[in-house]
Amino acid sequence: MKIDFIVNDKPISVDVDPDMPLLWVVRDELGLKATKYGCGKALCGACTLHLDGDAIRSCSFPVQYVANKKVRTLEGLCLNKETLHPIQQTWIDENVPQCGYCQPGFMMAAAKFIETNDNPTEEEIKSGITNICRCGTQPRIIKAIKRAVAIKQSTQPKDKL
Amino acid sequence: MTTANTKKLSRRKFFQRGAIVLGGVIVATYLGRGVIRRFAAQLAEDMDAPALIANNESLIWFEILPDNTVLIKSPKIEMGQGIFTGFAMLAAEELDVSLNQIKVIHANTADGPVDRISTGGSSSTSSLYKSIREMAAYIREMLKETAAKKWSVSVFKVNTQDGILSSEAHKITYADLAKSTIEWEEPATPELRPASQFKFVGKEVKRTDLRPKVFGEPIYAIDQSLPDMVYATLLQSPYIEAIIRHMEIKEALKQLGVIRVIQEEDLVAVIAKNRYAAEKGLEKIRVEWDIPEKWQQAEIEKLTKVGVGNEVSVQKVGSAKGILKENNDEVFTEQYRTSIGAHAHMEPNGAIANYHNGKLKIIIGTQAPDLLRKAVASALDLSVDDVEIELTFAGGAFGRRMDTKLAIGAARISKIIGKPVQLFNTREQEFLNGVYRPQTHHVLAAKISQTGAVEAVTHDQATPDQIFAQIPADLGPTVFGADFISAGHGASIMYNVENKAATMWHNKLPIEVGIWRGVGMFANTFAIESFFNELAYKTSNDPIAFRIELLQGKEKINQRCVKVLETLREKSEWNQTKAGGIGRGMAICNDRKTISAVVAEVKVMDKKIQVVKITQVIDAGLAINPDGIRMQVEGATMMGITAALYEEIIIEDARIINSNFDKYPMVTLADTPKINVVIVEGEVVPLGVGEPPLSPVAPAIAAAVFDLTGQRLRSLPMKLS
Ligand code: FES
Ligand code: FES
Repeated sequence: MKIDFIVNDKPISVDVDPDMPLLWVVRDELGLKATKYGCGKALCGACTLHLDGDAIRSCSFPVQYVANKKVRTLEGLCLNKETLHPIQQTWIDENVPQCGYCQPGFMMAAAKFIETNDNPTEEEIKSGITNICRCGTQPRIIKAIKRAVAIKQSTQPKDKL
Repeated sequence: MTTANTKKLSRRKFFQRGAIVLGGVIVATYLGRGVIRRFAAQLAEDMDAPALIANNESLIWFEILPDNTVLIKSPKIEMGQGIFTGFAMLAAEELDVSLNQIKVIHANTADGPVDRISTGGSSSTSSLYKSIREMAAYIREMLKETAAKKWSVSVFKVNTQDGILSSEAHKITYADLAKSTIEWEEPATPELRPASQFKFVGKEVKRTDLRPKVFGEPIYAIDQSLPDMVYATLLQSPYIEAIIRHMEIKEALKQLGVIRVIQEEDLVAVIAKNRYAAEKGLEKIRVEWDIPEKWQQAEIEKLTKVGVGNEVSVQKVGSAKGILKENNDEVFTEQYRTSIGAHAHMEPNGAIANYHNGKLKIIIGTQAPDLLRKAVASALDLSVDDVEIELTFAGGAFGRRMDTKLAIGAARISKIIGKPVQLFNTREQEFLNGVYRPQTHHVLAAKISQTGAVEAVTHDQATPDQIFAQIPADLGPTVFGADFISAGHGASIMYNVENKAATMWHNKLPIEVGIWRGVGMFANTFAIESFFNELAYKTSNDPIAFRIELLQGKEKINQRCVKVLETLREKSEWNQTKAGGIGRGMAICNDRKTISAVVAEVKVMDKKIQVVKITQVIDAGLAINPDGIRMQVEGATMMGITAALYEEIIIEDARIINSNFDKYPMVTLADTPKINVVIVEGEVVPLGVGEPPLSPVAPAIAAAVFDLTGQRLRSLPMKLS
């Protein structure tokens, strides 16, 4: 089946099995390898990407439901490698990744989280993201999210005051 | 292109030497067997491995690139430990370049020496601490000698800084010198700079692999592809030791995207145009399995029991067993158990293989490239020289990337279909067809004297093999009696007790077992440290003071242990009153000379143990990259909490029931305690970091739970009643 959608601001068209999970479409049909396979059952979050601005677990999302929608993967999170997204910046500042395999999913989940949570408490951060990391980067992920929230607050127009 | 070295070097000899590529010209430099021997000796010592296993000839490949950067090809694999960063720092100490002028990548078997044993045992940085600097110093001197000759000045007048050679009016970059030089001067083996002159070691440095990981670049084996590549999945039995009785592939072949199903006696695989079709096709194969025995959890547990199997003594000081036997009614004894565990690293095992014209290329993140290369060559009846292993970053490993099954499978499939193929496990296969951390059973017994001193103590430990299960039979337990390297690692009692003994009971499981981060130290520390916490309690001693007392001694290791314990007492505010509702406990281990000690603070809510704070003090000798150490300690802490509270492989009806992460819970952000890492440097050389801090976590948590609830939890994972 031919399916049209937008990936990282570029319109694309694929001709694949409509049941194929979006994960394998972005990875193997489009060659965007940042999005990872971890469990295939929406349990670990390694495959998290954005669909029309929402964070979804793409391993369990058939590509047919993506028609005419906007997909964003980690490759498209920042405009270029000089202008980083706050999440990527603070991931560098906090020296977060170890093996790194779970990080794209975490970063995409975190990018969405800070967008919808203006001033989260530590408890809200801890319960807001349920991805899995076996290397044990959780302490730094929490710190990096807090830092990204601070960056976001300092760069946002203070029109709400 | 000609080699500058006039002596012709055979390929084999080349690999026994250091390789330096300057401006595209390979200068194979003879560094002397001393370097190699030192490397092997160091590794053997670190691993406590017998010399025949540590037959290691790894050296390091350096290359000066036209943009005046230095490329180092690491013989060790980066699986998250941050070793590339440490390697770059060490090389920079002698090379006189800035850190961003160094790039570290993986060696592969075609163009650089790779590790002959494996990356693991927390030994990468410590074993290469000297070799890397030796190579770097040698290159620097070679550049200096060559520049001196070119300028007709004394070599003592040549300076090196930021990749530039200079002498009065003369100036040239390393790269330009390399480009314009054909004849290289061979310097004498240079002296290494003393630690007091280190510019990078000890500094806070960001990981060198940070940016590719933050941008999601395709650096893992699963991200690689080759032209015309197809995808495969391998049929693996979900039941223990089962064989196929009957199989039906009709439906699999109907799956859109499936190209064919390979059906050989010992290889059934679905080949498809994409991974999704390969997975779906596999699901559609109907198999009836012959299950030789319907294993249940209780029966599996019975297999690993003190008193069952081969008995091997690993420690005997004084006459502990005799004393305990004579004073039977005064003996205090307890039993401990740890569960079977999975590695659950996030990138599943797998490989890409391309068999073409009798030559084979494998792309893989493996901990043991050389062993893998030999295994694949022998499985396909190829000469080792015809097998190339290209290494990638590994998405976690923890001991599970010694696997050869998938690479061999991929190679055979590629040969059959005549195309490159990608073969990776599904997560279910990772859980159901793994190589597991074996369960253990421990019996500890002690006699306490009238004055409250520990007079005699014994540790009997039952476990299947770990490392020995993974190496050829002729080197295994038949030679050594039991797997003292891995399963027996940490079985001995380090405390000063006049009469002490440790005994291993070697037994077998019907599932495949192997090494897991921390190896034997993990289970042994849980048992021994839990028991010593109980002894401290029984004799009304403070557990830290009790241990300090039992670790007095002139040996450096004793002094380092005491220092770590004193630091732990101070930094964890051990002597301060704890907050209400908090339990506190501690534990320590000496893991191949790295000392690691933990204080855990826990609370309990609705029968659920929540770790709220961990203080980790680690003495891993010289701290090359302090933030790298902190990362590893934090990671080991989180994995230690998972091991203490959650992980447990369960077998029902010959089948592992933990089929995915929902049935094998692990820590999440919600379980993350406050972690305070304190680094003590009790040695002038670096020691291992990746594993030691894991082992004391579980016994410290167990002690904290007792402190709060009065319940002694002696089995992992811990469950409150
Ligand atoms: S791969 Fe999608 S949630 Fe794990
Ligand atoms: S960094 Fe390795 S799994 Fe998270």
